[in-house]
Amino acid sequence: LKRNDEIQTLADEEVMTLVQEGNPRAFELLFDRHGGAAFSLAYRMVGNRVTAEDISQEAFLSIWRSRLRYQPARGSVRTWVLGIVHHRAIDALRRNLVHERRRASAEGIEDRHEAAELTDVEAARREEARTIRTALESLPQDQCRVIELAYFGGFSHSQIADMLEMPMGTVKGRMRLGLEKLRKELEVEIA
Amino acid sequence: VSVEQHEIHEQSVGAYLLGALSDVERHAFEGHAEECHVCRDELERLRPAADALPRSVTPVRPPPSLKSSLMETVESEAREAGGRAGSRTGRALGSVSSRVAAFGRSLAPRRALVWAGASVALLVGALGGYAGTQLSDGGSRTLAARFDSDRVAGASGSLVVPEDSKAGATLRVHGMPSLPPHETYQVWLRRGGETIPKALFGVGEDGNGLTAVDGDLAGADAVLVTREPMGGARSPSGKPILQVSL
Repeated sequence: LKRNDEIQTLADEEVMTLVQEGNPRAFELLFDRHGGAAFSLAYRMVGNRVTAEDISQEAFLSIWRSRLRYQPARGSVRTWVLGIVHHRAIDALRRNLVHERRRASAEGIEDRHEAAELTDVEAARREEARTIRTALESLPQDQCRVIELAYFGGFSHSQIADMLEMPMGTVKGRMRLGLEKLRKELEVEIA
Repeated sequence: VSVEQHEIHEQSVGAYLLGALSDVERHAFEGHAEECHVCRDELERLRPAADALPRSVTPVRPPPSLKSSLMETVESEAREAGGRAGSRTGRALGSVSSRVAAFGRSLAPRRALVWAGASVALLVGALGGYAGTQLSDGGSRTLAARFDSDRVAGASGSLVVPEDSKAGATLRVHGMPSLPPHETYQVWLRRGGETIPKALFGVGEDGNGLTAVDGDLAGADAVLVTREPMGGARSPSGKPILQVSL
C-alpha cells in the first residue's frame, strides 16, 4: 500500500499524531472525516453558508496551527474539533458578524442542502443526529429552549434571561436540568 | 473551597458546558472547578450530553472551496516548516506504535483473562468480508481492524504487534458503542480451527478502549472481538464485530 492509503486506515487519534508531526496529508484526512460535521454545526448556528464556510476555515486553520495542544485523554478528536468550531461560531455571533442569521429549525435550513446520495458513514451520522434530536425534543419545552438558545444560538445566559424575562438563576437551572435529562435519555438510547 | 464560593459556581455547570458564560464568568468558573472536585465531577457527568449536541445536526456537505482553500494554506505552511508529507510518516507511525504498545503493556496484568488456554471452535464462514491493513515500522506492526459496519458504524481500531509476537499485542478501538452494565467486549485469538478466549474490556463514554491481547500470537490468523455477557464466554456467542487479520 502507498503511504496515503495507509493513513486512511488509521484511527482518528493516530491520524492526529501525524498531524502533530506536521503532516498535511493526515490533516487533509482529518478534514475529510470531520469537515462536514464542522461545517454543518457552523451552518446550523449562523444560518448562512458563506459565514459557516469562514468559521469552518478559521477553526481548521486554528486546529492546524495549535495541533500540539490536542490531548487524547481529554476526549475524542471529533469532540475536540467540534468544540473549536462551536467556540468560533459563538465568537462570530457575539461579535455580531452575523446580522441576518436564521433562527429557523435545523430541519428547515438543512434539508435544502442535503446530499442526494449518502455514503454509509453519512447515513449512520444522519441516523445518530435523528436519535440525539429526538432525545433533545423529548425534554420539557422550557429546558430544550434554553439549551438551543445557548448552544446553537450562541446567546449567553444573561441574554437568554432578558429574552425570556426570567431570572438568570432560573435559566442556569434549566440548562443544568436539561443536560441532566438529555444525558439520561441518551443513555437509554445507547443501551 | 468555601461553601459560599461553591454555591455561586455550582449552578453554572450547565451554562459553562453550553458556552453560555461570558469570558469573565468562564474564567472564574474554570478557576473554581480546578479546586472543586464536586463541580469537576458534575462537569464530567454532564459533558456527554453537551458533547452530543453538535452531533444532533443533520450533516450537510461543505462546499469544495472550503477544503481547497484550507489545504492551500496548510500545504504552504507545511512546506515552510519543512514538514512535507511522507518524509515523516514512517517515523510518526513508529511513535504511534511504540506509544500504544507501551500503554497496552501497562494494562496487560489487569486485563488477563482467567480462562487462558481454553479453546473452542468458531464458524469461520461467519467471518467473511473482514480484512486487515498492515503498516510496519521495522519493528512492531500496526494492523488496521475491520468492523461489522451494520453494528458499529464509524468505529475504527488497530492492533499493534511487537517484533516478538510471543509478547502478545495491543488492541486499540475508537467509536465503539458503550455497553450496558451486564455486557462486555471480549477478545478472541483464532488459530487454525480454534478460537481462544482472551481479555475482556470496555470502552469509555467516548467510545475509546484499549486492551492487551496476551500470549504467543505465532500461528494465529486473526484477533476477533465479540459482545458477550459480563464475565465473558468460553466460546463466541455471535458473529465478531471486529476482526484483525494477522
